[in-house]
Amino acid sequence: MGPLVVNGIISADTNLLMAFLIGIGFGFVLEGSGFSSSRKLAGVFYGYDTVVLKVFFTAAITAMVGLLFMSLFGWIDLDLVYINPTYLPSAIAGGVIMGVGFIMGGFCPGTSFCGLAIGKIDAMLFVAGLFVGVLIFTEGYPLWEEFYKSGFKGIPKLSESLGLSDGLLAFGVIVVALGMFYVGEWTEKRFPRKEY
Amino acid sequence: MNSRTIFSLVFIGLGLIIAAIPQNTTHPYKISAEDLLIEANSRTQYFSPEELAVLLINKDPSIQMIDVRDPEEYEKYSLPNAINIPLSSLLTDEWVDFIDQDVKMNIFYSNGSLKANEAWLITRQLGYENNYVLEGGLNYWAEAILNPEAPASTSPNEEFAKYDFRKGASMALGGGALTSSSSSSSAAKPKITPRAKKKRAAGGC
Amino acid sequence: MEDKEKRARKYLNPYLGGILLGIVLIAANYISGRGLGASGAVKSVVVTGVNTIVPEHAEKTAFYKDYNESHPKPMKSWLVFQVLGVLVGAFISGSIAGRLKFKVEHSPKITSKRRLIFAVLGGIFFGFGSQMGRGCTSGSALSGMGVISLGGFITMAAIFGTAFALAYFFRKNWI
Repeated sequence: MGPLVVNGIISADTNLLMAFLIGIGFGFVLEGSGFSSSRKLAGVFYGYDTVVLKVFFTAAITAMVGLLFMSLFGWIDLDLVYINPTYLPSAIAGGVIMGVGFIMGGFCPGTSFCGLAIGKIDAMLFVAGLFVGVLIFTEGYPLWEEFYKSGFKGIPKLSESLGLSDGLLAFGVIVVALGMFYVGEWTEKRFPRKEY
Repeated sequence: MNSRTIFSLVFIGLGLIIAAIPQNTTHPYKISAEDLLIEANSRTQYFSPEELAVLLINKDPSIQMIDVRDPEEYEKYSLPNAINIPLSSLLTDEWVDFIDQDVKMNIFYSNGSLKANEAWLITRQLGYENNYVLEGGLNYWAEAILNPEAPASTSPNEEFAKYDFRKGASMALGGGALTSSSSSSSAAKPKITPRAKKKRAAGGC
Repeated sequence: MEDKEKRARKYLNPYLGGILLGIVLIAANYISGRGLGASGAVKSVVVTGVNTIVPEHAEKTAFYKDYNESHPKPMKSWLVFQVLGVLVGAFISGSIAGRLKFKVEHSPKITSKRRLIFAVLGGIFFGFGSQMGRGCTSGSALSGMGVISLGGFITMAAIFGTAFALAYFFRKNWI
């Protein structure tokens, strides 16, 4: 019964090894899908390359459906899985700031590591920027500590907020995602750009 | 286009199945009888009156007093900011979000410790965490904190230190006889949004 | 067109990539009870760096004090190991596909210096934002959506919404 490490089926140290292996899979798929290229990543905002949309949402619905089915078969206890706690103001503010960083830098941390691994110098500088950004946050922490800790909502699920069951919500997300893929394909045809 | 149609149909199909099947709400991580016995004997679930006094004086926000006696007794006297969950209604839907959560430490109390212990055993067996018992209940609380007994002049220093602490706690908590009514309005239910019990596997982003 | 197709074939089909990524995410949840992430590892490195280089500062400054209390060994974390794996996995994929090359990737309409400046600035914003938002696109948005977390959806909407809104102003850099 998963999660394996929580139920003591694997040890904490094995877990770290697993983290490494999972990371390899993560990096491999990201790079293989083209996420090591900032131009492909930024493409979703201009319509010429919606790979971000497709990969991201396909992964989300695959994981959602997969985990729900596994929970159904009793292979995993979803109540024991870690979920990031929701602090509403900082989640939104952080998201906005990250959005600025995304459109400026054309990377997010995970993809920048992929770009770095294959030699992209812009990715390397993005990573350098990450360190600086984190340092600014930690050094100036007392300035925003109160804001950062406000609005604690626990770990609400979107399905709870909308009053739907998890399965119904997953279905809804699937429909929305498929719709977005359709639109994405259309924009790619409409606004093509040379890939380089 | 063909592979995309297959892709879409597969996901729609899976989505329909998962949407149709009712939510899986079991708590498989319950505690075994042996483990429960060990925990009960370890007495780690107890808060002594002194420990509770410190928390109450500091207005520690992480605790939640739960009075498991009948409503009439609760109305007559209850600890500060305590809510009343009579033992007989412990397992109703109304209270499940209070006894099964991971935000606060619930401290059950009753007149002695019989009912509080029962509440603890039941909730622990269901796998709920963060529930504790006030050692000795209100009877011991009154004796120890509200009306502490002065030690004999030949008692060791620790007894005097404990007495001084208890006297101070008693004054801070409105000591004297057990006649004062509860300090806060006991009618309003404190706001707790429903949360599933989570055991942190690992944190971080 | 033929050139583009040749290069396009070297990248995985995005839907296939998405399914594989979803499987990786499921594996992470099943094995380790958590989702994927990236920015947390940067935080671990920053904290470790400060602890090593200027320990007196770390003891006095609020953030490091709190963090070190709750995380005695910042580098021995799941995320750090995962990110190391990401570097290896991306490297392997890049070498198989022949994409290993030192270069600055930028639109032909701008200089590479301009691209690099924006890359650094973008990184600074993202680094700060990821700490404020308790996660980045991988940790908060992707993994959060996988477990239907409200916070995950909100952060994702904020990131992509903002980027879309500002895309017009930065279009010269990309198209």
